[in-house]
Amino acid sequence: MARLRGLHRFRRNRGAVVGLGLVGLVLLFAALGPLFSSHDPFASDFAHGVDPVTGLPVGPSSRFWLGTDRLFRDQLARLAMGARLSLLIGVAATAISTLIGAAVGIVAGWFEGERPFHLDVDGILMRAVDVGLSFPFLLLVMALGAAIEQTTSLTILLVLGLTGWLGTARIVRAKTMTVRRLLFVDAARALGGTTPRILLRHVLPNVVGPIVVIATAQVAQMILAESVLSFLGAGVMPPTPTWGGMLSDGQEVFTAAPWLVFVPAGAILLTVLGWNLVGEGLRDALDPREQP
Amino acid sequence: MTRAPLAWPTLLALSLAGAACTDRLQGPKETGNASSPTRGGTLQLASFGDIRSLDPATASDALAGVMVELLYAGLVDFDDDGKVIPDLARSYEISPDGREFSFHLREGVRFHDGALLSASDIKRSIERALHKDTPNSAASYFDRIEGFDAFRAGSVDTLSGVVVTDPMTVKVRLRSKDAMFLHVLALHSLRPVCKSGGSRYDDAWSPCGAGPFRLPPGGWQRGLRVHVVRHEEFYDKDAPRLDGVVFTYGMQVVTQRLKLERGELDVLRDLSQGDMARFKGDARWRPHTRQEPARSIFGEAMNTERPPFDNVEVRRAVAAAINRDEYQALRSGSVVATGKAIPRSVPGFSAEVAGQTFDLERALAHMKRAGYPYDPETGKGGYPKPISYLAYRPGYSEQSAQLLKQQLARIGLRLEIRLVSFATYLTLSQRRNQVDMSAQGWNQDYPEALDFYEALFSSRMIADDQASNSAFYKNPELDGLIDRAREELDPEARQKLYDRAQAIVRDDAPWAMTYENRWLVVQQPYVKDLVLHPVWIYGLRRTWLDLADSAKQERGNP
Repeated sequence: MARLRGLHRFRRNRGAVVGLGLVGLVLLFAALGPLFSSHDPFASDFAHGVDPVTGLPVGPSSRFWLGTDRLFRDQLARLAMGARLSLLIGVAATAISTLIGAAVGIVAGWFEGERPFHLDVDGILMRAVDVGLSFPFLLLVMALGAAIEQTTSLTILLVLGLTGWLGTARIVRAKTMTVRRLLFVDAARALGGTTPRILLRHVLPNVVGPIVVIATAQVAQMILAESVLSFLGAGVMPPTPTWGGMLSDGQEVFTAAPWLVFVPAGAILLTVLGWNLVGEGLRDALDPREQP
Repeated sequence: MTRAPLAWPTLLALSLAGAACTDRLQGPKETGNASSPTRGGTLQLASFGDIRSLDPATASDALAGVMVELLYAGLVDFDDDGKVIPDLARSYEISPDGREFSFHLREGVRFHDGALLSASDIKRSIERALHKDTPNSAASYFDRIEGFDAFRAGSVDTLSGVVVTDPMTVKVRLRSKDAMFLHVLALHSLRPVCKSGGSRYDDAWSPCGAGPFRLPPGGWQRGLRVHVVRHEEFYDKDAPRLDGVVFTYGMQVVTQRLKLERGELDVLRDLSQGDMARFKGDARWRPHTRQEPARSIFGEAMNTERPPFDNVEVRRAVAAAINRDEYQALRSGSVVATGKAIPRSVPGFSAEVAGQTFDLERALAHMKRAGYPYDPETGKGGYPKPISYLAYRPGYSEQSAQLLKQQLARIGLRLEIRLVSFATYLTLSQRRNQVDMSAQGWNQDYPEALDFYEALFSSRMIADDQASNSAFYKNPELDGLIDRAREELDPEARQKLYDRAQAIVRDDAPWAMTYENRWLVVQQPYVKDLVLHPVWIYGLRRTWLDLADSAKQERGNP
């Protein structure tokens, strides 16, 4: 019943529905991208992609719907290919960071105020999180990205995933601390449940709401972080297209070929906006304090 | 936390939209109608870079060279075509064995402090510049001067190869013949400095020489600008024509363009690719844009010590597979395609000898001969392993690397591009056995073909680290040609040696040559007789301003 009420609240939240629509569109674009453009995203077209007068890339036309990039390749084909990579990195990095964040948060919250095996598990974990959080996220990611010499999509999503879990851990820990004092947890323990079993079967289902909300919003943040990395030159190696990389490439000729900046910037903007709206809608919908 | 990420792309999009709306070039400023050169006015120049020194002994970068050339005159200099001509020397003679150079000084040359130039100033300045405590990165150019090693080691106080024979004559003796001695002498590092410069380099010294402009007290605001004014007692009474030159450093590229449009800058050399296209595409500005002579050459270096490029047929295939016109099309403002190892404006360029050319059929034939036949129809065959390719960003090689990858895929060579920072790129690409292939370029030390052949293809320039021969290419015949050219005083005989060297580099293809860089320069129409100099970037001795009357009042000194 509570779940249904949540769904109802989500559907009545206009922003959330728009966000869901945007995310759906981007997913569709990524999935069907090659259908929109018959051009090879890696092939330069010196015959048609160059403006004969200025020598610059051509703007949007019937042949190239979104114009060509600085190497005279079809911008639409590259945008579609970049969408797959951006979404893949965003979702996979979020999955990694959520997994780690949830595990750390539940364990720390469970042992808060206790010293199992004479070890301050909660203290150690949370001080580690404090240290991590004292670095601005993007700065940390950039430093790691620059330190890895040969960056691929895999290393980028690992870097993002392995650094993005800190906030999640904090929130899950707080929620766990509330849940573990509830009666059903005591009941499970009285029935002889082991700690791992209680954590998995009884605590986890009760903290999953906030985890989903954070994760959704984090996809947006990861897509943005990947763009920033590529924009600053620490991202995926060319000629593989990413939205941040396309933005970075376009900026030098921005005054003469503004579509090279507007197209990837717009794609990033809409995608990040979409995921953020969905995340906020979910938060409002799942928040038990917000009764109609 | 969840809202924050929105701000970044939104702000970016908005600011870019704002920038796009104000985007139309202002026309050039009016010119006066003087029929002959007039004196007066201050020329305004700028760059995004900065300089560290105005001392000829230690200023090594091209940007500092612009102002160093104005402050100091030398015994010899380069003319507008890059040929060596006498300057403070009235004339010079070379002994029959080619080892002794006698320079006869002009009468009545005065330093900025008013002192008369004499032969002892020449000797003092040379010893000052070559002293072991002077951080002079060009000192090794002069290692053929007699007594150089002992002087650099500090075991003697004087450089025995430089002799003052009378107050107006100085002789330089070399250990062995060096046809390039006058070329390196025409560079800045040994130029005479005032007595205040002393006989040892001192960081705190205020620049003072015998050049056409002098530095007034406070003329150099470090990190900001240099303002030089006319040296009234310069030996050439017709020069300079300008009252002064101001060079502003660290100025953003966009700011420079806006200042040019407002008439606050007279010459623009730092242009984004978009701005290049806009100035060339604007009928009002096009007559006032020019391309500089090239000082540098670019190519794709293939590591001849590593497979597959230890096989000359694969290298030939690459040289024939590269379509250089596409390189040029990628950045048509400044990149000029070439298949030769020497820029065409540099003395020693082989006009008669063909360079490398694009021919896909021939490239495929070379691949076959190399043992890696490739079928473009099916995409089967070719070299089976990926080839590591190193380039840097930011820079043109970011784009050219992606173009090269496409072009070489057509003959069955599969590149793996790796972009790194420029510093990392330099270290790795010049380290032995590190990368298969890299984007390379060479900027001339002095304008002569020998400099390029020696630095890039001489086996002496191979080292485990910091090898300027980044193809690690060894060819005894080419080494021999380089040695002979170094001792050949006759330019025509030297040209024959260069022609042979060009043919060897073309056929052996340690590099696939690709393009020469020729910056686009935009100037106000009222700037007259500004030379785009093959060595010093700008030649300003004869430059003058023909300002309309209205503009004269607007322009004061900064």
